[in-house]
Amino acid sequence: MNIANRDLTFARLMSLLKEYHLEVNNINPNHLVFTIERDHLQNAIEALYKENDIKALFLTMTATDERQLDGKYKLHLIFLILNTSILVTFKVNLDQIKPSYPAVSKLIPAAEWFEREIHDMFGIVALGIDLPPLVLHRDFPHGKYFPMRKDFELNKEVKISEVPHQFTQPHAEGMHQIAVGPIHAGIIEPGHLRFCTIGEQILEFDAQLFYTHKGIEKMAEGKTIEEGLILAEHVCGMCSYSHSTAYCQAIESLSQVNISKRASYIRTICLELERLSNHLADLSAICSSGGFAIASMPAARFREKVMQLIFKFTGHRFFRGLNAIGGLNKDIKDSELELLKKNLQSLKKEFQSLEKMIIGSDTLLDRLETTGELNFTQAMNIGLVGPAARASGVDIDLRRDFQYAAYHDFIPKVHIGTEGDALARTETRIKELYTTFDLISEIIDELPSGKIKEEIPRAFPFPFQGGIGITESAKGSLIHWLMLDEKNKIFRWHVRSASYMNWRGVVQATKGRNIVPDGPLVNKSFNLCYACVDR
Amino acid sequence: MHVLIDRKEIMLNILKSFNDKNMEANDLLLPLINASNIEDIKIELSRIKHLDKNVRKALSRSILIRHLDAGSCNAEEAELLALSNPIYDITRFGIDFTASPRHADVLTVSGPVTRHLKIAMEKTYNAMPFPKIVIALGDGACNGSIYENTYACLGRVDNFLPVDIYIPGDPPTPIQILKGLLLCKYLLNEK
Repeated sequence: MNIANRDLTFARLMSLLKEYHLEVNNINPNHLVFTIERDHLQNAIEALYKENDIKALFLTMTATDERQLDGKYKLHLIFLILNTSILVTFKVNLDQIKPSYPAVSKLIPAAEWFEREIHDMFGIVALGIDLPPLVLHRDFPHGKYFPMRKDFELNKEVKISEVPHQFTQPHAEGMHQIAVGPIHAGIIEPGHLRFCTIGEQILEFDAQLFYTHKGIEKMAEGKTIEEGLILAEHVCGMCSYSHSTAYCQAIESLSQVNISKRASYIRTICLELERLSNHLADLSAICSSGGFAIASMPAARFREKVMQLIFKFTGHRFFRGLNAIGGLNKDIKDSELELLKKNLQSLKKEFQSLEKMIIGSDTLLDRLETTGELNFTQAMNIGLVGPAARASGVDIDLRRDFQYAAYHDFIPKVHIGTEGDALARTETRIKELYTTFDLISEIIDELPSGKIKEEIPRAFPFPFQGGIGITESAKGSLIHWLMLDEKNKIFRWHVRSASYMNWRGVVQATKGRNIVPDGPLVNKSFNLCYACVDR
Repeated sequence: MHVLIDRKEIMLNILKSFNDKNMEANDLLLPLINASNIEDIKIELSRIKHLDKNVRKALSRSILIRHLDAGSCNAEEAELLALSNPIYDITRFGIDFTASPRHADVLTVSGPVTRHLKIAMEKTYNAMPFPKIVIALGDGACNGSIYENTYACLGRVDNFLPVDIYIPGDPPTPIQILKGLLLCKYLLNEK
């Protein structure tokens, strides 16, 4: 985006919000921070969404405990202005005693989970809505302890007891309830699911998640940025590289360091390789949940080949240790890149036969079609991201719309579905795989030489300001929001993963017209992580 | 062809892991892996009788695994799942996953134990019949990895369950997991 255009958008935003903001800061050229008055928060959001020329996308929402600085809690809402790559933060100061704000989820339904999480972790109340516990289970002493507040000790012992979760109960004759989890029959992560059914049809569906909540965000506080990077790699295994890249980008935006072209190109290759392995795992899981082992096994074998390729290419099957703040830890030899390219070409040919197998099977298509439908409006309301959103017709891909790493040089084709069912989600993944194959070859052809790591300055210009890193992982966009203190230690780190947004989509898509055996299929057509939701 | 080559590597790795000195066993198994027709395989199989006792034990009896994620970052699950793909294909070693802890010989636990999963983990362990083996899978389960003890994260698995085998790694690769699982067969015979 050119500078004139950017200034125009800045001016437009200023005039839209002029009645409501107290102060405007500019963190980096693309990031505006408006300090909004608490009582005007809803008006400001309405103003941002009202106009047709400014298309705001809600990214994330978090809070910080800055009582030791100025005696206030702060609320941060982050938006992306589509088609401009401009980030907008609304910062709201909240009182120390009984902090509260008018509920945002009345205007942005996607913010519901965020408000419940902030209530659990900080005790900050969103006025006007119900706030049942989300992250911390019911046996946690809610209202007594607030883990993310600064005066809560990290290793405080909290008594564990067995308190049942609350779910929608069977409320009609002939209805009964099926409980699943938290220890599942397959090798998946823990979560407790409840289906309310009449006969085979699922009427209600509830999910109790956050079983693997470890308090990673709290662990990171007070640590150096390098230690934080290792934690970022361990937020989630499947999207490990996307997470560490987003984390590095957040720090690079705060320190205003531009990484070298070679580093950003190699990062992009790795991000696409991760998409490859994730999408193949998803396809394998969809086929096996659809009872179609004939395609599930080749897909799994295919995925293992990609994993071995990743291992040869980077030295770790999940890219760990590759990313560094300011670039990469390890350079990749040209001979390895040539080998990768050659391998990918043969894999692409092999994938064509796999695609025929999946799309050409009537039995599988019969299972996938009209299963777990989500229409465009539902998808927008929930705030779906990634291939799941695109399958419902949402034309957003942050590789194209935010253009981090090398994506401004290699703009990927975005594939949009219409039906929003499990089949559309499968097809979107298949199409994206082809784009990924081509993208990696293109990048390898254009890869420049040069150094791979930039020096990071010792002192950052923006202590106590939120830096943002965004990547579009295979499952959707994920956001790392990072605030450093004056000693360059982590003050607050917030991770919003793709699965966090999409879980409400799974719940929505499962109820209604589906039957019980469709439950796992709908789940796998989203194929969400639990680890990065729970953190 | 790819599959064959991969299997050979795996076999060799397993053999090495059991006994580095036992080069004879390697020499014995190699022709079997490379055998191209059924007659050759029959001849080679007859020679397996002379195999080292340890190797025969590793290929004897079957075990059923119940996996439990006690708070891992899901990389361990991905690698465990990879074991059932056609490249590793663990069912040919007589190892398989079971849906219920009541049918399981082995419990694999990954990740540092979280507050919300402690009770579920103990219930799963208690539901298993004797003799039972617990494997701590991955760094998180073995020593807590990089995760500090917090209000929600309670640390390594052997604080809560008697662990028999530790498979460290971040995450351990499928081959490393396979080695550990074959080791279970010895322990189960002894228990």
